[in-house]
Amino acid sequence: MGERNFNIPASGYLEALRRNGVDHFVTVPDWVQLGLHDRVERGVEGLALVRCCNEDQAVCVSAGLRIAGKKPVTVVQNQGLYACINTIRAVGLDASLPIVFLVGQFGREFSNFGHEPSLSARNTVKLLEPVLNALGVKFWRLEDESDLGRIDEAFAYADRESRPAVLIVGAPTGWN
Amino acid sequence: MNLLQACTIIENARKDAVLVATMGAMFAFDGIKAAQPRISSVPLMGGAASLGLGLAIAEPLRKIIVVDGDASLLMQLGGLATVADRQPANFVHFVVRNGAQFTGVANLATPAESCVDYAGLAAAAGYRRTYRFEDETALAAHIDEVMSGGGPTFVELRVVTPPPIPGAPTKMEIPDMQFQRMGVEARALSTWLQEHARG
Repeated sequence: MGERNFNIPASGYLEALRRNGVDHFVTVPDWVQLGLHDRVERGVEGLALVRCCNEDQAVCVSAGLRIAGKKPVTVVQNQGLYACINTIRAVGLDASLPIVFLVGQFGREFSNFGHEPSLSARNTVKLLEPVLNALGVKFWRLEDESDLGRIDEAFAYADRESRPAVLIVGAPTGWN
Repeated sequence: MNLLQACTIIENARKDAVLVATMGAMFAFDGIKAAQPRISSVPLMGGAASLGLGLAIAEPLRKIIVVDGDASLLMQLGGLATVADRQPANFVHFVVRNGAQFTGVANLATPAESCVDYAGLAAAAGYRRTYRFEDETALAAHIDEVMSGGGPTFVELRVVTPPPIPGAPTKMEIPDMQFQRMGVEARALSTWLQEHARG
């Protein structure tokens, strides 16, 4: 039995975004998702890149796109999610806009891959899920390639419930 | 010029442009019965420009007008660069400069009011055109030029600050609608955009 690979290929993410009709990649770049960023920066047909200076702006840009019928994904890291909680409250919860996030677990110990993030010694990592629970924002972990179907679940949930949804990228994305 | 005069001039020139307003300007537009297409960034200081940018990207054939507050803009100054990075030609960004927060209630001073240059910041960030108006005659004379030219366009509006009335407003509970209206307006705007699709 081979060793479990936690580095989900960027191509796997892109295929999941494509099949979910995502047309805008709205982002404050994330170290964990650099492999994915690299692919998007080089150009992906049908996927427009929107660079933002902070995560509040990324959430609001995504909201404007959603209102006008587009389908963005908001790509940030855990620190960025903490930074934009009030905007998620206003746009995602109060205004009920279905913002879907990819959130990288920056700072996660390699030894924690495949284990409970709550066992991490780092607040940056272990606070993410409790914060999302406190907000009432549903989340899905992406730990290896077999989890990519959760991206479809998250988009379906966000569309159906008009609620934000968070996909947690547990380990650095592969550059392939 | 006062806020109501400024907003009335903008509204009269708006035609079917989408209005994104926040804070005092939002209530001024309510007062002159500005209707769809519009959405308010409330209660969310600082969100208007980025909300408008998302709309501008999605609706490149339609004008998007953001009417921001000075303290709101200060919260998201980096948003000027986020807008400039996309260079949306259909984006007009007004900022109402009254130098006060909780205007008309407490008039708490806005940071850097004595020295900040909003139009200068926008130009330095990469906005294509910038304007600054201090009286309603000048704004009215240039509003068609402001609205018709290629953006991103930034307009600093110097408005007088009404005197504070301490005490009274905080005795009223904030109504539920203050927390619901962005969602209500988002759904109404979404429907309006579908019914008036362009391109």
